[in-house]
Amino acid sequence: MLHEDVVCPFCACLCDDLKVETDNGTIVKVDNACDLGNHKFLRDDNHRLKEPIRRTPSGWTSATLQHAIDRTVEILLGADRPLLYGWSGTHGEAQSIGVHMAEVLGGVIDSTTSVCHGPSILAIQEVGHPGCTLGQVKNRADLVVYWGANPIEAHPRHMSRYTTYTDGFFLDRAFKERKVIVVDIRRTQTAEVADEFILIKKGGDYAVLSALRAIVRGKSDMIPATVAGVTKEQLLRIAEMCKKAKFGAFFFGMGITQTQGKYKNIRNAIELVDELNRHTKFTLTPMRGHYNVYGFNEVCTWMTGYPYAVDFCRGMAFYNPGETSAVDILTRKECDACLVVASDPAAHFPKDAVRHLGEIPTVQIDPYPNTTTAFCELQIPVAVTGIDAQGTSYRMDGVPIRVKSILNRGYPTDTDILGEIYRRIKEAKRV
Amino acid sequence: MIFTLNTGRTIQQGNNVEMKYHPDYAKEVSRCHMNPLDMLDLGVMDGERVRVTGPAGSVVMYVVQDETVSHSTVFVPYGIYANQVISTETHGTGMPDFKTTEANLEPTEDSVLTVPELLRALGGMPYVA
Amino acid sequence: MSELLIRHACVVDPVNRISGEIMDLAVRDGRIVESVSDRAEVIDAQGFLTMAGGIDSHTHICGTKVNFGRYMSPEDMRAGRTLKKGQMHSTSGYSVPTTYGNSYRYATMGYTAVLEGAMAPLEARHTHEEFMATPLQDTMANVLFDGNWPVMEAVRDRDVKRVAAIVAWVLTAVKGFAIKITNPGGTEAWGWGKNVTCIRDPVPYFEVTPAEIIETLIRANEILRLPHSVHLHCNNLGTPGNYSCTIGSMDVAPDLNKERQSLYVTHVQFHSYGGTSWKDINSKAHVVADAVNRKPHIVIDMGQMMFGKTTTMTADGPMEFNLYKLHHNKWSNHDVELETGSGIIPVYYSRKSIVNSVMWAIGLELALLIKNPEQCLLATDNPNGSPFVKYPEIIALLMSNPYRQAEIATLPPETESRISLPAIDRELDWNEIAMMTRAGQGRALGLRKLGRGHLGLGAIADIAIYPLSIGAIDPSKEYTRVIEALRLTRYTIKNGKVIARDGEILSNRNKTTIWVRPKIPEQHRMDHDPDFIRNFERYYTVRMSNYPVQEAYVPESTCIETEAVW
Repeated sequence: MLHEDVVCPFCACLCDDLKVETDNGTIVKVDNACDLGNHKFLRDDNHRLKEPIRRTPSGWTSATLQHAIDRTVEILLGADRPLLYGWSGTHGEAQSIGVHMAEVLGGVIDSTTSVCHGPSILAIQEVGHPGCTLGQVKNRADLVVYWGANPIEAHPRHMSRYTTYTDGFFLDRAFKERKVIVVDIRRTQTAEVADEFILIKKGGDYAVLSALRAIVRGKSDMIPATVAGVTKEQLLRIAEMCKKAKFGAFFFGMGITQTQGKYKNIRNAIELVDELNRHTKFTLTPMRGHYNVYGFNEVCTWMTGYPYAVDFCRGMAFYNPGETSAVDILTRKECDACLVVASDPAAHFPKDAVRHLGEIPTVQIDPYPNTTTAFCELQIPVAVTGIDAQGTSYRMDGVPIRVKSILNRGYPTDTDILGEIYRRIKEAKRV
Repeated sequence: MIFTLNTGRTIQQGNNVEMKYHPDYAKEVSRCHMNPLDMLDLGVMDGERVRVTGPAGSVVMYVVQDETVSHSTVFVPYGIYANQVISTETHGTGMPDFKTTEANLEPTEDSVLTVPELLRALGGMPYVA
Repeated sequence: MSELLIRHACVVDPVNRISGEIMDLAVRDGRIVESVSDRAEVIDAQGFLTMAGGIDSHTHICGTKVNFGRYMSPEDMRAGRTLKKGQMHSTSGYSVPTTYGNSYRYATMGYTAVLEGAMAPLEARHTHEEFMATPLQDTMANVLFDGNWPVMEAVRDRDVKRVAAIVAWVLTAVKGFAIKITNPGGTEAWGWGKNVTCIRDPVPYFEVTPAEIIETLIRANEILRLPHSVHLHCNNLGTPGNYSCTIGSMDVAPDLNKERQSLYVTHVQFHSYGGTSWKDINSKAHVVADAVNRKPHIVIDMGQMMFGKTTTMTADGPMEFNLYKLHHNKWSNHDVELETGSGIIPVYYSRKSIVNSVMWAIGLELALLIKNPEQCLLATDNPNGSPFVKYPEIIALLMSNPYRQAEIATLPPETESRISLPAIDRELDWNEIAMMTRAGQGRALGLRKLGRGHLGLGAIADIAIYPLSIGAIDPSKEYTRVIEALRLTRYTIKNGKVIARDGEILSNRNKTTIWVRPKIPEQHRMDHDPDFIRNFERYYTVRMSNYPVQEAYVPESTCIETEAVW
């Protein structure tokens, strides 16, 4: 059976033009997806957990769903400070239940945001976000900047759907009319297709952004001959390209959120874009990673007021990344139970934070065995959103798209499992 | 020799992100991409191994020659190996130093641990079907 | 079957000409009925002021830009925290509360229906998700068409039927309620960092003028027989001298509907400025009010500004950028492809500022100088003018000249020569207030005949009982009591069930989302239009089949179907 306009549940490009062919419950062909999307769909069958698993001293054994849910409820109710982490790989309806659960438990809820674009959000909270939807870029942008981002590896269809290679309403021969600037500390594959590549010394982004801001404000005289390895001549050229553009779109990634200065780099980038808006039209978009990481920020915000790292121990939402974010809570051994949903912190957190997961009762809700499994007492497999579960997802620019279910593999969804756990917790707490 | 450890996404890392017990995953994320001139200075060749030691600990990785990597930095695809050396310090931001950890590299004959071995070392019980 | 009897209610219901009469209200299965059995639950309203549930005809509470406003302002979130309590969730937010925050605060203030001021069709799903998390009000969404490409092209081609067909397709697809136009043409110009200067200024590339967009959409609206009229946020918001643009926009509107206005102009306070710059800004509310008085086919809402901190958020992207340049505060922007834009910036309206003082006076002047309260509804463009929790204070100001004079005395002395408020002594009465806060909205939104905004037989039993004996107080003198009483209902009743009592929420969920499905001749539908389809797939970044809002997003749905006059 051919499914059209399928939404890809991998990265936050959230491409919704995939064609997926299924045959007798198996996915046999995928068109229009990138390599990452292809792998997500085509290799899904092979290694899902068939049923819940339980850790015993002698190894892993299967568990009934009933036991798994009972035990999860018991763990969460018994904890003083449970941490509910992950969320970026599931649909919004499930994320919503997670937030409700954290509130009723008085626990902490955080998402992969804190180790990804959390710093971007911190910057936005200082200076705002001059953004737009991706179609604005596609139809209008004659200048695209990728700063500390490598879409060819991390968002492979970004350039062909939204920027460099796509035609737009206002650009006749988009590929020829558009210019691409890439800024990075190494010559990535994306840099290879740039019209202008800026090789920056590691940690030099803040200084270069400041230099560009100064030039845009007419203060090029104060710029020295080089800034973080970039020549003044190149800086002047870039600034001029930006000012002369009819519509510039700035995209950025971990290259500046994870490097020295973290959110201050993003703040500087935002302020540069603000400044450019006094001369021409310029927008800024963070290259969000997981297909629904932004969705968690949206859901968490309309429910609690804050986009991630929310602590409910006071009976209301409290937000303080650095204190209430997952890595910090695990490092300080502050949580005494953990529920991990739709992410894999054991591979993606520094190891000393991971260790604590194994020291407390940890349960994971995830279709696949992963590194976090090793630290869990239990894992409950669920349907994969976008393959056998549907729900809402938010693209990197905030556009919400409903991800489809194209198969039924007989798994409950995140919403089913979390819904049941939440119901039982509420009952126990008489809410 | 001290290098700045830069970690990041790659296609192969992404393709294997749901298959972390598969050897393809380990192969991709245990690769330390180095500039050929740095490799000369350090005395390693493509395919050999280095012990990478950072604030949180130390891990052995394979060396991959990569001209796109800048001098005095190394690039390791984002994953469990890099996280063996990165500290949990977030400077109050929630975000660890994924791209700014200073690590010491030296050639080694030690083997690259498998993902299950890394997990066991942290007290985990790797899943076996 | 559920029955409720409210005894000794002091009913103010201008639609049914009840003006402070002590009477009983009988409710069965969510509707007002003649009488009920003795098994009915009985509430003693103790002679308190009883009106239909409040209806907010223009408020920003759900959707992309509202959520932007929240997450970029953690300081605003911290300024309005409440603990979880029983089945009430914790809430955050002072000027941009979380969805539960908004819902509880509206509910305890007696408001049972709200119209979200602006929803970009591409992001409608987000608004509906937030509607689902706003559990105690009936919700509706204004759908933005100001920068809509297919619409502008059809306007340029003078094809009003095509405009109607596009509107019909979009409203149905996104489960929207009404046509909203914000800074028509300006939001498209903002896609290039530009703006339009007034209604005759052509939009770059599309070569249509705002005046043409407004007029064509009004005609299309009436062809589709939508319950509400076109809802307009004029060009030039906030600019000194903009009052002439506002009157020009009103002049564009034909009178096409016997039952209600043909044009609803929103937050007119922001559009009634005289002068040429911030230095000589003054109130032209009297000129605008005069125009409204002469045009029964126009309804406006005040857009009252109140002093204090708040967050401005609107689809008017260029205006928000101007505010950013003025205030140097954090600024967010979000342009939506092929459709519209938006901007958000926190502000502080200061009593020490002559400009802000003039703005404060203007809203009140409009309400007091417009003779028919059905034509001037109470709203603050929440949160742009002020958070909606200040409605009781605004009501008190409208009912009390002494209160107004006392406030004027606190303003910079230079304000007085720029405003007419000090000389206005009109004091609105309870009938007029009821008209401005529920009855007028019922009519303007086309919902009166569906039983909203009044308490006649057959009306929906959305009822607000405020702890105030209106016969025993003089609102002119005792305005603080008025404010206190209107802040928290003794009872808020929704669909015949008590959902709030003295500030406590007693219901988890009681709502519906009202939307429209205008039916047009099959062959004209955009579903079959090759140009529409081709351009959609080429220029949007979402596939046409993925664009419509699925049923799952409106678990409680009230769909109003209309038959277009083709």
